[in-house]
Amino acid sequence: MAKAKIKFADVNVTVTVPVGTRIIEISEKVGSYIAYNCREGDCGSCLFTVLDGAEHLSKPSALENATLFAHFQQVLDGWRGAADMASLQEMMRRENFAGKVCRLACQTQVFGDATVAP
Amino acid sequence: MSTQRVSNEAIAVTERVHWIGALDPTMRTFDVILKTPNGTTYNAYLVRGSEGVAVIDTVKAERADQFFARLEAVADYGEIKVIVLNHLEPDHSGALPELMRRAPQAKLYISDAAQLMLKALLNNNDIDYIPVTTNDAVSLGDRTLRFLNTPYLHWPDTQCTYLVEEGVLFSGDVFGCHYCDEQLFNDRVGDFRFSFEYYYAHIMRPFKRYVLSALELIEPLSIRLIAPTHGPILRDHPQHYIQRYRELSTPRLHLEMDRDIKTMIIFYISSYGNTMHMAEAIRDGAAEVGGFRVSLYDLEGGEVEPFIDLVEEADAILVGSPTINGDAVKPVWDLLSSFAKINVKGKVAGAFGSYGWTGEAVRMMDDRLRGLKMRVPLGGLRIKLIPSDEELGDCHRFGHDIGDFLMGKPRAREIDMSQL
Repeated sequence: MAKAKIKFADVNVTVTVPVGTRIIEISEKVGSYIAYNCREGDCGSCLFTVLDGAEHLSKPSALENATLFAHFQQVLDGWRGAADMASLQEMMRRENFAGKVCRLACQTQVFGDATVAP
Repeated sequence: MSTQRVSNEAIAVTERVHWIGALDPTMRTFDVILKTPNGTTYNAYLVRGSEGVAVIDTVKAERADQFFARLEAVADYGEIKVIVLNHLEPDHSGALPELMRRAPQAKLYISDAAQLMLKALLNNNDIDYIPVTTNDAVSLGDRTLRFLNTPYLHWPDTQCTYLVEEGVLFSGDVFGCHYCDEQLFNDRVGDFRFSFEYYYAHIMRPFKRYVLSALELIEPLSIRLIAPTHGPILRDHPQHYIQRYRELSTPRLHLEMDRDIKTMIIFYISSYGNTMHMAEAIRDGAAEVGGFRVSLYDLEGGEVEPFIDLVEEADAILVGSPTINGDAVKPVWDLLSSFAKINVKGKVAGAFGSYGWTGEAVRMMDDRLRGLKMRVPLGGLRIKLIPSDEELGDCHRFGHDIGDFLMGKPRAREIDMSQL
């Protein structure tokens, strides 16, 4: 089976995993600070940041995009006005979130080497 | 059991507010986990403005008759312009579908997070509502309702509603308790502190962080009266209850000691001293890291409740148990099952234990700790029977590694997923 290396920067652990493994299946076992609740892509609490290798992770589904959108609208005061993900991302770019790739650990699968953090 | 007859009159709370709730004096167990010796009340309120009436919260479906009788005593359904649900749990939303059928013109106001629950609770996709958050307001002419987004007290959907002109805070379950007395007001029902404290300990305590956030919104308000959804209406010294929530929710240890110093607690129980020797070696390894407090406790020497107080204030919790008949021993499960009363999410944790034949206990404890969303950086440490010097060295390293992890300087590790 093909393998990939996923590094959790916050706890300094690199884990060799079978390709296709979801981030949350590993993060909870190495004590990473990546939190979680529903594990169904609904609540948005397992949000994490990709530091390196974003292209080696599965593409976000419509569900994941919708949850990320709702999450950012809710947590970032005054950004409730954004009409859709694209305009929200534009707002985030303006607010210095540039370059940060945020994903949901319960949805994202590992396809190649990457480094992540909460 | 009280046999007192209850009249169905609405009770004036202020000039413009009436209590239209329901009494449930025979209730003894609430939500499976709470006991009450004299029942509870489901408090709902009616607010009259110059341009319409608002209903704040409803009651449990089984007690809806009382609610509608009291409502009809002070208003016509056609006057209802606004319905606010501060919390969607069935004991407050039970009469909502019938209320909306009787007052179809009324607009329903709920929190942002309540939207996700409303449909699942009422099994009806056609409900029209307006989601609101902090500083949103709705006017009833000469009276104004302003909303406070106060999530996780004790569900994601919870909010409070403030009646600006009268200084009334409709607080939902916050400041509530399961206490039933038809005298209804805190200055008339006698001493209900035991009930108030018990309710906080079982409902609000796991959400202390959110209580403190909510108090930031509540404390600046000019509050003359707190109208919760359960128990006495707090019109005498309402500030006293707000201060009590502040006291109960503020971390105690951080007030008394250096707030930056972390705490590790090691609990163990041991039949022949083997798990105890492991605990001591782990403690020594952790202490070598330095910069945080380490305490060792034998579960045989204490009760669960005070240990839970310790766990709540600690940053890392390690638990050691022997394996007896393929399981961890009961005092360990008593402790671990009580973690649900507090918030342990994100605390560092670990398990260890000596065993004779099979050693299942450690993995079971690991699963429980991870299941509670604690951060378990290392798989549990198991040692067969009496630990050798080399094995005590492993314990020492285990304690040292978790100490490093707690201090934010985890040793770099490369592992295969099969080892996890």
